[in-house]
Amino acid sequence: MEDMIQMDRAMSTEQDIKISANGVQVYYGENHAIKDVNVEIQDKMVTAFIGPSGCGKSTFLRCINRMNDTIDICRVEGDIRIDGEDIYDARVDPVQLRAKVGMVFQKPNPFPKSIYDNVAYGPKIHGLARNKAELDEIVEKALRRGAIWDEVKDRLHAPGTGLSGGQQQRLCIARAVATEPEVLLMDEPCSALDPIATAQVEELIDELRQNYSVVIVTHSMQQAARVSQRTAFFHLGNLVEFGDTDKIFTNPEDPRTESYISGRIG
Amino acid sequence: MTDATQGGPIRTKGKSILELDTRTKKRNAAEARFKGYGIAAICVSLFFLVSLLVTIVSNGVPAFTQTFVNLSVTLDEAKLDKNGNRNIDEIKKVSTFGYKPLINAALVSATDGIETELTDKDLDKILSASAGAVVRDHVIANPDMIGETVEFRLLTSSRVDGYMKGRVVREDLARDKNLDAAHLDLIDVMAERGAVQRTFNWDFIFGSDASESRPEQAGIGVSMLGSFFMMLVVLALALPIGVAASIYLEEFAPQNRFTDLIEVNISNLAAVPSIVFGILGLAVFIQFAHLPQSAPIVGGLTLTLMTLPTIVISTRASLKAVPPSIRDAALGVGASKMQAVFHHVLPLAMPGILTGTIIGLAQALGETAPLLLIGMVGYIATNYPEGVTSGFLDPNSAMPAQIYEWAKRADPAFYERAWGGIIVLLLFLLTMNLIAIILRRRFERRW
Repeated sequence: MEDMIQMDRAMSTEQDIKISANGVQVYYGENHAIKDVNVEIQDKMVTAFIGPSGCGKSTFLRCINRMNDTIDICRVEGDIRIDGEDIYDARVDPVQLRAKVGMVFQKPNPFPKSIYDNVAYGPKIHGLARNKAELDEIVEKALRRGAIWDEVKDRLHAPGTGLSGGQQQRLCIARAVATEPEVLLMDEPCSALDPIATAQVEELIDELRQNYSVVIVTHSMQQAARVSQRTAFFHLGNLVEFGDTDKIFTNPEDPRTESYISGRIG
Repeated sequence: MTDATQGGPIRTKGKSILELDTRTKKRNAAEARFKGYGIAAICVSLFFLVSLLVTIVSNGVPAFTQTFVNLSVTLDEAKLDKNGNRNIDEIKKVSTFGYKPLINAALVSATDGIETELTDKDLDKILSASAGAVVRDHVIANPDMIGETVEFRLLTSSRVDGYMKGRVVREDLARDKNLDAAHLDLIDVMAERGAVQRTFNWDFIFGSDASESRPEQAGIGVSMLGSFFMMLVVLALALPIGVAASIYLEEFAPQNRFTDLIEVNISNLAAVPSIVFGILGLAVFIQFAHLPQSAPIVGGLTLTLMTLPTIVISTRASLKAVPPSIRDAALGVGASKMQAVFHHVLPLAMPGILTGTIIGLAQALGETAPLLLIGMVGYIATNYPEGVTSGFLDPNSAMPAQIYEWAKRADPAFYERAWGGIIVLLLFLLTMNLIAIILRRRFERRW
């Protein structure tokens, strides 16, 4: 059984493909928000979604961990596979999926609890720690990965909401990695941050790439160019172009991509 | 350009900002007027509030004191225990009427040496009709004291009490068959001697209601107990049902016609007159379910119906006020919907829920109309704990219903007690609001 799954994975994950989306359509009521998107996201790489506002990049991102399920009028068609498993299969519990696919949101949203509790919450509800010592260890590891350990180690029991914006966002990243996800989705993680905090988070994203497959939605093309290896350009719900970041920014194939990155549309 | 003064210290283009133009003047005047209206409105409300409080306190405070007569009654063996064998059953055979001569005799000796045109028989009009019962209860409790002279502290009649409080004057008694002006002369002398005193009346706070002819004996204690039992029922039912319903509607229910209909109906229910809930309680709980009439459980159930919409509305409002990003954050780390609600949303909504609940309870505490319909106005003459007021299923009254009952009785002494009852009720409401504020602070302090 184990072997079969392994084989199955090996077959579907040529070149280490982590997420593959085929013919994804998303509707908000009558509004067709995502039109037939096919994309393959590789493991241990940063993939950036760029495009003008309202082009559907965030919507698509939220399909990957089924956050769109919480919106009543939202309907998703097509299939998205993680490691070859259809995440919209009837047997999939979105709760289990979200433990595997972590998410960082646009606005830093720490729980109004202590820094420690913020990070420990995920591991606690998933039963990742058997005792307090293990939990402490997980929290420290996550905060170190979130590159915020040195700043907060002396005040782990201070409220997370008392941190600065950039610190809060790194805390949220630490919270997301504490549950040991395989994929990390980031929805414009730096849009509420100043340049210094942005630089810190970008640096962090680059480090996270060693362990996770990272998908980042961003409005800043410079950011996409700085942090990602692969870039997807969305326009009006269509995936216009998808390829290596270098190529997209230097030699785009589609005229729409070229207009966008050169600032003529969007 | 044209009116710029070349080389001058002030270079103005167009109008100077040092002068107000007419539009700005108008706007400033409008703003000042609006502020004036606001201050006037606050002053008017403050005036009403102050006059309300002054009226309540000045009318109600006398109810908390009562006039007593200290009387040495000789417990005559010949009258109380003819056979002299202290048989309790035989002593009990002497009714309160049989104690009248003893009390009269005591009054005669107490007023010894005071000039009065009153006959000895008429003297006991200064005492409450309860005097005989007080002495009898004492004798039955201590039969071995028969034959001794015992000092009693007996209630005066409501007229005498009114005279001591300045409510009754001699002219009022001209056509009053309960008391003569001559009695008041007696009282004056007795008060000088220290035999008649006005002291704090614990019986008003802990006692029960009394019959219409003895306002001096009436207290609010038993109906306070009835209100307390009702509040327990309301709290135990309305809080869990209301909070569960709101959480489901706000967090889990799909948005469709059916839930819209429920929502509209809940808002409408909050505006339904309370007497409608009263008649509903009468029909459902008493006539259909055959629960006992006048019982706090029925009152509690009826008030629960009335309080539920308030709790549901305030709970939903406070759940709505929790930012959606908190739910996203919880779902994002893999919490289930229920975990997200119970671990994160509910604690944040708690202060609002508690405030709403306590406001709902306070509303229920002050509600009278539904209680009239389910019969919670009957007066209960027996004192707690021996009496009929020991539980949820026994007939009882409630504070606002008791106040209403007193206010509609003829004797002005009851009117005074109605005001006193309002003070007690307001103190309860103040305490509840204080608890609401403290709880709110407590839960908000967490972050």
